Parts: sequence; C-alpha cells; structure tokens
Amino acid sequence: MTSTALPAQAGRTASRARHTIVDADIHPHAPAPQIRERLAQRHRERWDMFAGRVPGPPEIYPRVRNSGFRLDSWPPGGFPGSDLQMVRDQLLDEYGIDHGILIPLQGHSWGVEEPGYAAALCHALNDWLADEWLAAEPRLRSSIAIPHEAPDLAAEEIRLRACDPRFVQVLLSTGGELGFGRRRYWPIYEAAAEAGLPVAAHTGGLEQHRGAGWPSFYLEEHVWNGNTMAALIMSMLSEGVFERFPSLQVACVEGGIAWAGPLMWALDDAWEQLRTDVPHLRRPPSEYVREHIWFTTQPIEEPDDPAHLEIALAHIGMDDRIMFASDYPHWDFDSPRQAPRLFPAALRSSIMGSNACRLYGLPEVEPEESR
Amino acid sequence: MTAAPPTTGVVDTDVHCAPATIAALTPYLEPYWRTYIQDGGVSLSTTQGGAYPPQAPTSATPAARAAGAVPATTVDELRTGLLDPAGLSTAVLNCTTSFHCNRNPYYEAALTRAVNDWLVTEWLDRDDRLRASMVVPTLDTEAAVAEIERIGGHPGFVQVLLPVRADVPWGNKRHHPMLQAAAAHDLVVGLHAWGRIGNAATPTGITHTYLEDYLGNSQLIVQAQVTSLVTEGVFTRVPQLRVVLAECGFSWLPTLLWRFDKDWKGVWREVPWLDGRPSEVVRRHIRLTTSPAHLPRDAAQVRQVLDLLDAAAMLLHASDHPHDHGTGGDRLLAALTGPERERVQSRNAIDWYRLG
Amino acid sequence: MKIVVSRLDEFPPGERRIVQAGRRSIGVFRVGDRFYAVNNHCPHQGGPLCLGRTKPWVRSAGPGDYAMAEHDALVACPWHGWEYDLATGQSFLGPGEPPARTYDVSVEAGDATGEPVHGRLPGPYVAETFPVHVEDAYVVVDTSPRAPAAGVSGGAR
Repeated sequence: MTSTALPAQAGRTASRARHTIVDADIHPHAPAPQIRERLAQRHRERWDMFAGRVPGPPEIYPRVRNSGFRLDSWPPGGFPGSDLQMVRDQLLDEYGIDHGILIPLQGHSWGVEEPGYAAALCHALNDWLADEWLAAEPRLRSSIAIPHEAPDLAAEEIRLRACDPRFVQVLLSTGGELGFGRRRYWPIYEAAAEAGLPVAAHTGGLEQHRGAGWPSFYLEEHVWNGNTMAALIMSMLSEGVFERFPSLQVACVEGGIAWAGPLMWALDDAWEQLRTDVPHLRRPPSEYVREHIWFTTQPIEEPDDPAHLEIALAHIGMDDRIMFASDYPHWDFDSPRQAPRLFPAALRSSIMGSNACRLYGLPEVEPEESR
Repeated sequence: MTAAPPTTGVVDTDVHCAPATIAALTPYLEPYWRTYIQDGGVSLSTTQGGAYPPQAPTSATPAARAAGAVPATTVDELRTGLLDPAGLSTAVLNCTTSFHCNRNPYYEAALTRAVNDWLVTEWLDRDDRLRASMVVPTLDTEAAVAEIERIGGHPGFVQVLLPVRADVPWGNKRHHPMLQAAAAHDLVVGLHAWGRIGNAATPTGITHTYLEDYLGNSQLIVQAQVTSLVTEGVFTRVPQLRVVLAECGFSWLPTLLWRFDKDWKGVWREVPWLDGRPSEVVRRHIRLTTSPAHLPRDAAQVRQVLDLLDAAAMLLHASDHPHDHGTGGDRLLAALTGPERERVQSRNAIDWYRLG
Repeated sequence: MKIVVSRLDEFPPGERRIVQAGRRSIGVFRVGDRFYAVNNHCPHQGGPLCLGRTKPWVRSAGPGDYAMAEHDALVACPWHGWEYDLATGQSFLGPGEPPARTYDVSVEAGDATGEPVHGRLPGPYVAETFPVHVEDAYVVVDTSPRAPAAGVSGGAR
C-alpha cells in the first residue's frame, strides 16, 4: 500500500491554550550509531559483538497495533522518536506544549546489562539527550537513564547529571530483578533525594510474570501494567523507602491511575492487621501514597460514563498529583486537544500543566501571555 | 446425619476445612503413596506453605482461634464454630491443602484424589448443609479431567477449586479441556487465593513482607487470571462456564474493567474470538466472594464502590471462616440495602451454584 | 465541489491518494476496482485517519480460529487503531461492541443501523465519506452536500 500524500498542510492552527501544558511522557529514541560513537572502545567491542542481551517487552508481546507506534510517527529511514523536528511538528508545536519531559525507554533494557556496560550505555544515552535534544529545544527536559540493576553506578550517574537543571528526574522501570523497595536499590533513592529529583517509574523493563504465570497476549500484558505499578508501590511502602527518604517523590508513568483507590483501601486494611509485619509503616499506607506518589494520565482508564472516573479520582484524593502525558509516539498516544475531555472539568488545568510544573520546578505560563 | 438447627437462609460460599495432618488422608491414598510420604518425610504444612502464618491476625478470627478451628478439621468443629451459630442453610467447603503440593505431578494427582474422597466421606456424607469444592491436579490437565470425570458428578461437589498462583494462567489453551470438563459436570470453577509456594506474588519476585504476599492475591494475581480467562476466549469456547473468585477481594474489579475495555477496543484483532466487551463477558461469567472486602472508610464512598461494581448482582457472601480480613465486611454489610443483602447473602449463590 | 484525484491508469488497486479540498483533507482509496473517499480526520482523537492501514474483516469461531475476508474493507486509524468502514465511515471497535458514549463532536452522515456487520456491532463514531466517480479516465471525488452513499465501482462506467 503506497500513498502519495500531498505536502502536509499546517491545517489546524495550534490554538494557544489558556493554561500551561506539560507533557510528562515523551519517548525519544537514540539511533544506534549515535550511541555507539559515544562509547569507549571496550564497550564498543561489546556492543558490536553481543549487542543487547536483555529482551525488550515487544519481543515477547508484539504490539499488535501499528507495531506500538503512531503510524505517522516514523521519520524517513528512522525510528519513531528519533527526529527532533518531527517531535516539534507533531507534538510540541502542534499542541502548543510549554514543557515536555523526555523518558528514554532504551534505558530500561540497557540498565539491566552487565553493570559497567549498562552504566556506559546509560551515560551515552544521557549525553545524547543533552547534546542532541536538550541543547536544541528549550521546551524539553529529560529523565536520567540509569543502570538500575547496578545501583551504585546508577547513583554516580544521578550525581553527575544532577548539576544539569535540564535533567529533572531519575528513570526507573517497573520491571526489575527484585522489588524496587529492596535496600539494594536504595543508593538510587539516596542520590535522587539528595539532588531533590523525583523518581519516575515507567512501565516496562524486565518482562517477568510470576504469580499467575505468563500470559499469551499483548492485550493481557498491557492491561497488567497497572498491577506492575501497584507491586512497585507496595514494595517501596513495605520496605520502608519513604520512612528512610521522607522527601522522595515517585511518579508512576504509563500505568493508569484508577486502581490506586482499591490498592489504598487494601493496604490500609492489611496494615491495621499486620503492623508487626511492616514496622517501617508508622502510619496508614494511604498516607504515604498521598504524600509521595504522582501519576501521569496516559493511558487513563475510560469507563463508559465519565462520571465514574470522576468518582474513582475523588476516592483516590490526589487531584494535585496527576499530570497529563501524551505518550508520544506510542500507538495509544493521547492528544492534548482531545484527552482533557476525559478528565473532570474542574481538574483540567491542573492536570494539563500546573501539577507537573510544581513537581518539576517548571515555570507556569503567565495568564496574559497565554491568551 | 444430624437435624439442622434453625437457618437464617444465608449461604456461605467460602468456608475452609483441612485435614489435621497427612495421617487423616492416608486411608484415602494408595499404598505406594503411603510409602512415598513416609520415605520423603512429606507432611501437610500447617500454614499451607506460608499462606496462613500461625499467629498472624489474618489467619484466624479470635473466636476461631479460641475454638482451635484454624481451620476446622472435623465436621463437629465446623458445626459448633460456624454452621449452627451462623444458622447457615448451605456452606461451600474449600480445602486448599493441596495448593502448595510438591512438583511431582503423580503425587499431586494422588493427593487431590485423597482430598476429594476425604471431603466426601468426612464432610459431605455427614451434614446435608455442606457442599464442597473438589480439587484437581494443577500440573497435569489430563489427570485433572480424569478426576473431574471420576468424582465431579457427586451431588455434594459444586465447584472445581484452582489456586490463583499457578505456573500458567488459567485461561491458557492447555487448561481448556479441564475447564470444559468442569462445565460439562455443571461445576463452577473457583479461583482461590494462594497456590504454589514457589510462585512469588509479584512480578519482581518474592517479598520480604507477608503484607505484600497477602495483597498479591487480591491486588495483583487475581487480575491477571481474569484477563487471561477473558482474553483467551474461555467463555467463547465454553459458554456455559461459571467462575467464582474466592478470597481475592472484589473492589478492584471496576477499574480493571475500564482499562480492559479500553485496551480491547484498540487491539481486538489480536483475539478476534473475544466476541464482546471484556466487562460484559465478566458480568456474564464471573462472580466474587465478599471476603476480603477492601473498601473505603467513608460510608458514602463505599456505596459508590458497590454501585460501580453492581455489587448486588456480582457478589456472593463468604465468611472465609476461619480467616480474618478486618473490618471491611462490616462496612460492606452496612452499605447494602435489605433486598441487596438477600441477593448477596443467599439468592446469588443459590443461582450460581445451582443450589435450588 | 469536484476534485480530480488522479488519472485512473495512474491509480492502481491497493493504493490511496490524499487530496486537499479547501480546508478538508480527504483520503481516496482504491480496493480492487472500487473507490472510497473518507475524511482524513478520526472523530475519536483527531488522528490523520487516512494514513492508517486498511484491513479486511476478520471473524473467529473460537480461540485460534482466524477467518479473514479477501478484500480490505476498513481503515484503522494510525493512532489508536479504531477501525472505520471505508464505504460508510461507520466505526467498529470489536465484535459485539455496541454504540458507546460519544464525545461532544458532530457525528457526520452515515448509515449506521445498529445491526451487526460481519459479527461486529457499530461503534460510536462515523467518519465522513464522499462519493467517488471515474470521469473520462480520471478519478473524481465529490464533496458537494449529498445523501449518504457508499463507494462506487470505478470500472463500471
């Protein structure tokens, strides 16, 4: 099937929003040669000889809609998210986005490689982000890719980037070798807390299905994402991460939101009975959740009746901790123009921008400027 | 058979019983397996592999603990501890003793046969208020089918009980013959909390705390089982199949279905046999027991949760005796209207398990 | 307004053209000898509908059974994959999907009946479609106001 599209018309003019728009989940993709050239010789040899040993989730569960990407997001000869100008055209300019937060998912798999190699890959990825994207586009900020299964090296990378204000958070995946509350990972949280940076847990990483066993289909795996996020929160709470790092903030990215209410009810019930088991939790778990956890919207749950989502969000009671995310260039991209209709009207402007500005210390657009 | 005392009409769909020790099962085991047990030092874990730690407040209510029924090991204990005082018209017995069985598939088959025969002889034959779930081996589909063929027609069995923690999700193709056999015998398929002890509760492995393990059932694993059963087309293939989720909570269901429906709209071509919205399939084929009831603290919010779930249609009353999941059950009962309570405590279970 | 899309002999089966009609972008598809024209705007979230892949109907008698029709009949939005009947613009989400909530967008002309089509019930949206004709060996799309109509045969003239 070929198409002979006429030159894309500017078409809809990007109407200036009346409020700040922050997109908290944009996925850049570093072309392989640009990472390879940033590696030291010994890592380059490993790159050439063994490539990557950690399977990405799509190898196990193929994204059965347009390979998991907006079909119109492939630059000529490139990979979705690899062309900054295309991201400007399709996202930043198109929707008048004031600030965009980059989440480089290549770090998810690279962070699990042999520790020295993992650290080198993530370091190169962060260099590439700084050189090629952050230097060129002032609307963008980035997450720090880290070798998360080598937490000591991850902490080094965090401390290195912390002095660059364009890096605004530390990137974790939900899939790791162990529960992310484990002490093994605490050097990451220590460095993040010390730098005043939030940690973003994005769905993905090591694909593992214990408990119920491995599902067969992408549909199941994608529905399951909210539960990997719930497991991460339970682990951090139960192991005492928030008692040890009381300033630490954790953003749950691309896992949905509505499940957080039922999770908090269950946690509080269980805590009442099992306090001997979780001495680190001095208060009902829901209190820690409301003080430490943030959510991004995409893919927000969509009940038939939007009033039901409103009820679920009211039960969660964390309206000031929900941030809009488009998930560009993935197939389930939420348009900043259409998606706000899914959110309760009273929350739209805070979800679309001001909540994220508060978490990431970003300036809000002045009201007069925004007319 | 003793005369039943006055009944409240309540049906309790999750009542635990267990053999006190493996000695209670040896009369029901073939000679080879008696020697296997002796030589292997095989015993039945009193905590069921850590699922119900000895002194954990969740493992038994104070009353059950005082009566030594943790859980009941004889029908007399159950009569005095639950059946009579609660005035139950029917109780569905769940024996999860075989859930954490070792990995020998032939021993698992022998053990589950023994549990089923023990249930018939020591329980079902002794009190006509009792119905029971039969258990099947989880490692061998053919053996599970054979066990359903052997004993699934016994009028006391109303359900095939499966653990939520398993090697392969229950919707998987390899399990379909077993699910078909259950449906052919008009047996409900019950998925119950816990299961294989080697299967961690979380995607990232074993947990340091029991709390995570405990909530792993109701907040994580059961949701994977629901998506598996629906996605794999189990209900397309076996349209008469009825499923119960026991001791797995229920308040998580509405938000799971919002997500499930949304994703299905985008990627339905991957599973074209799924012939309706996941939420509608669940509504047609799945019910949930009331304990644990993880609900908000605010009564108005509890009411909203029940409305989102359509609790009056979806829930089956369960005491989960002897387990103790805290105060959620009281919040649930307080929020149900009179007619809703009648459906949840009695009518829904009579219809679903065909007790009438 | 009539827009000349292409010479017929330069528009082989299986191809599509995107044309501009005033402010509107329209996708013209050739499937076999049939032509279809659809507004290049997905009513769901505003994606460029006509850049999506075209798909045949698929039905299933049960797990593992995939019965796919011979010809493409639907276009799947390049963003979320919501599918629209090329002829009518009617959206179809999946088997048995009843018409659901609509956003506050205008639902354009279509002939949704609510009856199952190939085992699937119509979804909430209808994308705008236009008649296509072959005139003097040129493929022409007509955006004049009209009653709803399906794609016409290109080879019938």
